[in-house]
Amino acid sequence: MRVPGHSADHQWSQQHLSHYAEGDLPVRARRRLDRHALDCVDCERGLRAMRALRRVLAADGSRAVRAPAGILDRARAAAAGRQSR
Amino acid sequence: MTPEPVTPAGPETEAELIEAAQAGDMDAFAELVMAHADRLFAVLLRMTGSYDEAGDLAQEVLLRAWRGIGGFRGGSSFFTWLYRIAMNEATRSRQRAARRPPSVPLGEPGTPGTSALDVPAPARDEPGPQAEQRELRDALARALASLRPADRAAIVLRDIEGLSTREAAEITGVSEAAFKSRLHQARLKVRAAVGDAALLGTS
Repeated sequence: MRVPGHSADHQWSQQHLSHYAEGDLPVRARRRLDRHALDCVDCERGLRAMRALRRVLAADGSRAVRAPAGILDRARAAAAGRQSR
Repeated sequence: MTPEPVTPAGPETEAELIEAAQAGDMDAFAELVMAHADRLFAVLLRMTGSYDEAGDLAQEVLLRAWRGIGGFRGGSSFFTWLYRIAMNEATRSRQRAARRPPSVPLGEPGTPGTSALDVPAPARDEPGPQAEQRELRDALARALASLRPADRAAIVLRDIEGLSTREAAEITGVSEAAFKSRLHQARLKVRAAVGDAALLGTS
């Protein structure tokens, strides 16, 4: 059986950090990345960074953004204007 | 005996509002879209990085929705349908912007709420951790602005807005598998642009 070398595992792991963080990897693939990250500082750090990225983005999404007042009135006026042409 | 109410009873359901809007009732349409206005604007803001542009696009989206509501058949939810119009408009706008001379769509430093990530204005002499957060958000905003619209849409819809993969795929008009692939690649690009040190607070 061919055992993937460190380099192949590393490249594969780097490409699948997001899949891992999303829970998109099948069990065997997840274990492969787990095993590799145990010995690879870059990939272990990459996994933490990917999780941090998703946290920061989600936190931004939880901030309330208000649509400008009158947005619908502008659309109504535009609709009326275009209809009357 | 209790008299009959003279005002219409209770709020109408979305389906009723859609039906009324399709029959030409603009008030029903207004009620329908106002429930989604803030999130619609947020998505446009995150796609464009500009309050002014997002406002103009929101108006265009509402106009297109009003003109197209007759063709809405309920195969998807109204929310998904509206977002699809919004993403199409935002993508077109980004493509037009890409053909113009380059500009940084992040607003002036310190101008509240004009960055791609809607960051608040920093306080003067802000302490270290807050300054680091500010720098991280600015770096993320720049990274998002550098993505092509389809990649940016994937991050905005899934990671920032928190939609499901299924909803986000439907809005962007691709299969779930294609959407996921796009999302993963977009995240890798953002991670590379921002850097692990900044994301992990170790810079």
